Formats: sequence, C-alpha cells, structure tokens
Amino acid sequence: MKHVIEIKMGCLEIITNETEELKTFVGSCVAICLFDLVSHVAGMAHVMLPRKSDGKQSAIKNDIGKYADEALSYMICDMIQKGADPKRIQAKMAGGATIFAHESETGLFNVGPRNVISLKQILKENNIPLVSEDTGENFGRWVRFDLNSGTMIITSNLKKFEKII
Amino acid sequence: MSTNCNDLQKLNSVLDSFIVHKTIPALGTMLGEIITHSIKKTQEMSITNLDLIISDLEEMNVMSAVYIKCDGDLHMGALLYLPENESKTLVSKLLGKTISNELEEITPSSISEIGNILTASIINAISDDTGYKICSSVPGYAVEFFRTLLEAVVSDFGNESGELIVSHVEFHGLKSGIVIRMLLIQNPSEVKLMV
Repeated sequence: MKHVIEIKMGCLEIITNETEELKTFVGSCVAICLFDLVSHVAGMAHVMLPRKSDGKQSAIKNDIGKYADEALSYMICDMIQKGADPKRIQAKMAGGATIFAHESETGLFNVGPRNVISLKQILKENNIPLVSEDTGENFGRWVRFDLNSGTMIITSNLKKFEKII
Repeated sequence: MSTNCNDLQKLNSVLDSFIVHKTIPALGTMLGEIITHSIKKTQEMSITNLDLIISDLEEMNVMSAVYIKCDGDLHMGALLYLPENESKTLVSKLLGKTISNELEEITPSSISEIGNILTASIINAISDDTGYKICSSVPGYAVEFFRTLLEAVVSDFGNESGELIVSHVEFHGLKSGIVIRMLLIQNPSEVKLMV
C-alpha cells in the first residue's frame, strides 16, 4: 500500500521514497511532475498561475508551487540536492483546462492554457523533456504520480475515465 | 489570518444588507416567486484548505455554474451554481414554459443571464453605498463538479496572498423549492473597503 501525499493548491512536494505516491486535483491549474527514475527523486507542483509578477521569491514554502516559474526553479534545485541528475530529469503534466467559457469572449477565462504554455516554455529553457501530457479540454482531473514506475494516472469524475500517461 | 472576527461579521452584515435590498427583489422578479436567503458564513481561509467548503452534496452532483469576476476599486469573484438537473427547472421558471429538447441549448445563456443579474445587483448595491467603480466581466459558464468550479475560480481570481474571504449565500424559491447557491470571494486586503 502506497503512502499518498496530497498536494494542495499552490503547493509542491519532492519525494525520494518509492513507497510514496503524489496526488492532486487540477482544473485550470496544472499538476507538473519532474522525475529522475534512476535516482528515485520526483516532485509534483500544483501550479495556479503562469508567472510571479513581482519576481520576489515566496517567503513560505507552503505556496512555492503556485507560480510556474517559481515552482519549477525550486523543484529542479531541490531535486538535484536530493540526488537527481539534471540530465536525467523528465517531466509529465496534466490539467490546464478551460473550465468556464463564454461563447464570444474566448480569451477571458484562459488561465489554464496560459499555465500550460508557460510551463512548456520554462521546461524548454531548462532542457527538460516533456515526455507526456494530458492537458486542455474543459474538465477537472485527479492526478497521481507513482515514483516507482514513473506513471501518471489521470481520472475525471465528470468524463468517467482513467488514463495512464 | 489577517482579518479579525469583527470585520468578518461586519462584512457579513453589509453583504446581507445588499442582498436583501437588491438581489432578492431582482431574483424574485425574474422567477415570479418569493425568495428567501441565508449567508451561511463569511470566513477567511487559505487556498490550501478549500476542502473545508466542499460538501458531500457538492461532491456528488454535477453543477451548472456561472462565474463572473469584478474589477476596479474593489475585486470580487462571484460563482453561482445549482445542480445541473435543477437548472432546467430554473430556466423553465425564467421563460415561463417547459423546456423542450430543442430549447435545451438556451440553458447556458439563461443561467448565465441569471448570474449576470444577481452579480450586477450586488455590485450596484456596493457602488451605490460606497461610490466605488466596479466593472464585471462577461459570465463564464461551466458544467462540472463543485471541486473543479472552485479550483478554477480561485485560480482565476489569482490572489497573491494565498488567503481568501469566502461568503456562501443560498437563495431559496419558496414556491418552486429551487435552491441557488452563490459563492463570493474577495481579497482579505480589501475587506476594510467594504466595512
């Protein structure tokens, strides 16, 4: 039985124990996982917004996963400290949905897609390959990440599916 | 937590007064029946504790929902929602006739319009009382479980502090038995502007 660690909104966790599993729920937010399966280090952040506007680092670790730029910067550093090889770090992500829609104002409620674009750009800047993703659409997702296998399991209560990426 | 109990109680009373004087008459006129309401609670909470306001009912029912964000001298997010299977009843009441399958496609715009009117009534009341200039967005419509709606609203609201003031309002149609819920979210730093 895996010990499940739930990542709250705007938070992140790094794990090194293969008996642990990371879990979160995302709608327009994005669950981004970085992992090095050789060193057995993985992290998951619940990213709410694309960029931190003031450039100052969060004083509290509690919401360090909130902004895409800050979350990835922190995760990469912490994972390397815990033994990950930067050349082996890979990424998977899910979420970034457009939950609310207006028939004509398509650009108004688009924080989800903007989160996805921002994360992809930051991954590229850091030469981290995005090996799989389940993003976009208009529904919420439960996301679990298993460090042992490197699999991300995504379920939607609304669409009634479970997929593994 | 940065907001004291006294200010939260005052905010609750102020919102209640606005709802009584503007929102209830607007909804009553639209639906053609007497409307009662209750503000369940106004509380400050961390975005990491959203589970606390998700009830079992809301976990089990798909909701029809409208989200409107308000910017200007004051920032507010308003989420109006009701179980999807009750939304057709609401639209039928609004139109004064039973909704046929052909008319089902007007449900989103009808629910959106109700959200628009109710939110505007609160904004107008705030503006009349305080003189603040507040603009509201077009309504965003969604059909999802409450957890997803709440997550998207909190994310879109984008409060930097990680704390929110949340007010939960319920409207009851006395004749039809319809229950419409509304969640109002604000920045803790702006509570003083209201009280």
